[in-house]
Amino acid sequence: MTTTAGPASPFGAASRLPLRRPEQGRWVGGVAAGLAAHVGLPVRLLRVAFVVLAPLGGVGVFLYGFWWVTVPAGDPLEAAVDARPSALARLSRRQADAAPARRWPVTDVAVGALLVALAAVLVAGRAGRLDLDWVLPAFVVLAGVGLAWSQLDAAQRGRLRRRAGGRTPVSVLRLLGGVILAAVGVLLLVGQGSGRGVATDDLLQTVVASLAVLAGVALVLTPWWLRLVRELGDERAARARESERADIAAHLHDSVLQTLALIRARADDPAEVARMARAQERELREWLYDDRPAPGTSLVAALRGIVAEVEDSRSGPDGDPVAIETVVVGDRAPDADTEALLQATREALVNAVVHGRPPVSLYLEVGPSEVEVYVRDHGDGFDVDAIEPDRFGVRESIVGRVHRRGGEASVVCRPGRGTEVHLRVPVGPGEESAGAAGRAHDDEKEPPA
Amino acid sequence: MSAGEPVDVVLVDDHHMFRTGVKASLDDGVRVVGEADTVDTAIELVRRVRPPVVLLDVHLPGGDGGGGAEVLRACADLQGEVRFLALSVSDASEDVVAVIRAGARGYVTKAIDGAALSDAVRRVAGGDAVFSPRLAGFVLDAFGAAAGDVATGDDELDRLSAREREVMRLIARGYSYREVAAELFISVKTVETHVSAVLRKLQLSSRHELTRWAAARRLL
Repeated sequence: MTTTAGPASPFGAASRLPLRRPEQGRWVGGVAAGLAAHVGLPVRLLRVAFVVLAPLGGVGVFLYGFWWVTVPAGDPLEAAVDARPSALARLSRRQADAAPARRWPVTDVAVGALLVALAAVLVAGRAGRLDLDWVLPAFVVLAGVGLAWSQLDAAQRGRLRRRAGGRTPVSVLRLLGGVILAAVGVLLLVGQGSGRGVATDDLLQTVVASLAVLAGVALVLTPWWLRLVRELGDERAARARESERADIAAHLHDSVLQTLALIRARADDPAEVARMARAQERELREWLYDDRPAPGTSLVAALRGIVAEVEDSRSGPDGDPVAIETVVVGDRAPDADTEALLQATREALVNAVVHGRPPVSLYLEVGPSEVEVYVRDHGDGFDVDAIEPDRFGVRESIVGRVHRRGGEASVVCRPGRGTEVHLRVPVGPGEESAGAAGRAHDDEKEPPA
Repeated sequence: MSAGEPVDVVLVDDHHMFRTGVKASLDDGVRVVGEADTVDTAIELVRRVRPPVVLLDVHLPGGDGGGGAEVLRACADLQGEVRFLALSVSDASEDVVAVIRAGARGYVTKAIDGAALSDAVRRVAGGDAVFSPRLAGFVLDAFGAAAGDVATGDDELDRLSAREREVMRLIARGYSYREVAAELFISVKTVETHVSAVLRKLQLSSRHELTRWAAARRLL
């Protein structure tokens, strides 16, 4: 195996992040940082790539500029979280990070670059190599377009909007300024081309001039229109998520409040109170800290269901409810083999809870070619070979089930160190895991960048 | 160690009820010398008291919103003198990895009982790492150990050695350090050495999954 982890590890599952320009860790526009998070390559590599590509006909600069204006700013991870249907997403807020944002003094660099460019143009003009009459208007057009497109920088826009509380005069000013600058530049250019001034009797020249103005205006207005379209979609999605979230909150408050009321009413029955508290804790934990997979795609989810059922329905030898400490590594889509394994696991858990002694531990490991389960309790255990044939429980429901799937089952008892049931079932490779399925789904929903 | 001087502990958690509960459940070998309930008060208190061990909640209000990891980063220069044991109700992987990579010496969930917590505090005070079964599970997952991705040399940071993987699997299966030692026919001290080595890898590794994940969370 190379560095690719188990297909559905908690780390792998969130791997394909949507393309955003993060505000933190950016040097210029956050394009490299966002791209790195999206494709999973080191940021340094991408930054070097942009720099290397820059002199090659300006490819690097063009690509960077293209992504800067078209990719919305934002935290890729938050965007990924937001993209999940909120009925399946964890509710607990993720930790914000306090690491300070590292930024290059973009404005200083830009002003410097502009001055250098101007100096170069002047020198070239003095040397007579360059026709200043052409270059200056071109600069004016470029400045206008840059000004107008810069409003697409959604992060800045969001900040300004929040401060201004509604419409931002700045974005309007930018648009107007851009249009005027571009128009002036285009007119100058066309005038230059037509010989003496803008007003000539040459019809062709006039048509060219008006077309050029129209093209300039369209170029300037496109980002504004793009922004409108994007905002509309965002707002609609946000409203849908908000109502989903409210449903979940209502559900949670209901269940928690009801359980608390029940606990108060049954305060004289410690076993029952402990069981209810445990069940509620489990439910709340699931809602708060886990992203829930869609039904039928995750072996781990199925296992958690079985653990919940055993915890709720079975009691230890002295009548107390028993909590099962569950640890899982990896995940995959369930199939007939893992179903048999799960049923055997359930029997082993019931056995451990009812006949063993707490604490009970459950460990599931999904490997590339097999799935292993360990169920451990601290009781004195039993000897598989000594079980009478009429006691169907262990022999048939645990050992037999696993054997029929080509797997192995063993029970190890050590005096003073409890009993451990070990189940192993071989599984075929290449099954799409829950995490991979979720990822493919996420990709579908991403807008084509 | 448990017979000697009690270990001084600063308790950082934003829930008064929980702090009271922890104080009541700790045994005589552990003495709570201070309490804090926000990031800022925690940093101030730890810098002033410099206790051998800090019990640190992962989710804390205040500061820049960085929670326990922010406290850890602000006290980074005290590491070695002050050791941190993270304590959280959450068992989500990012919470765990965030505080461990920020420098915590262990991670336990709040469901832990008083005796086990006191034991964990002493272990951390003695310089050892404390791994819960769940943390062991995360480690196996993040290092791809379930898929058989095992280091061949000792100095590799990005993969677990075969022995470390074995130790992690036993801890994930619910074995105590003593039981792990008995199972593998090694001493408890050796188990502790392995666990500390895994903690170091978890903190320093540039393994793909860990760094990509950490970079996405901006922890690097």
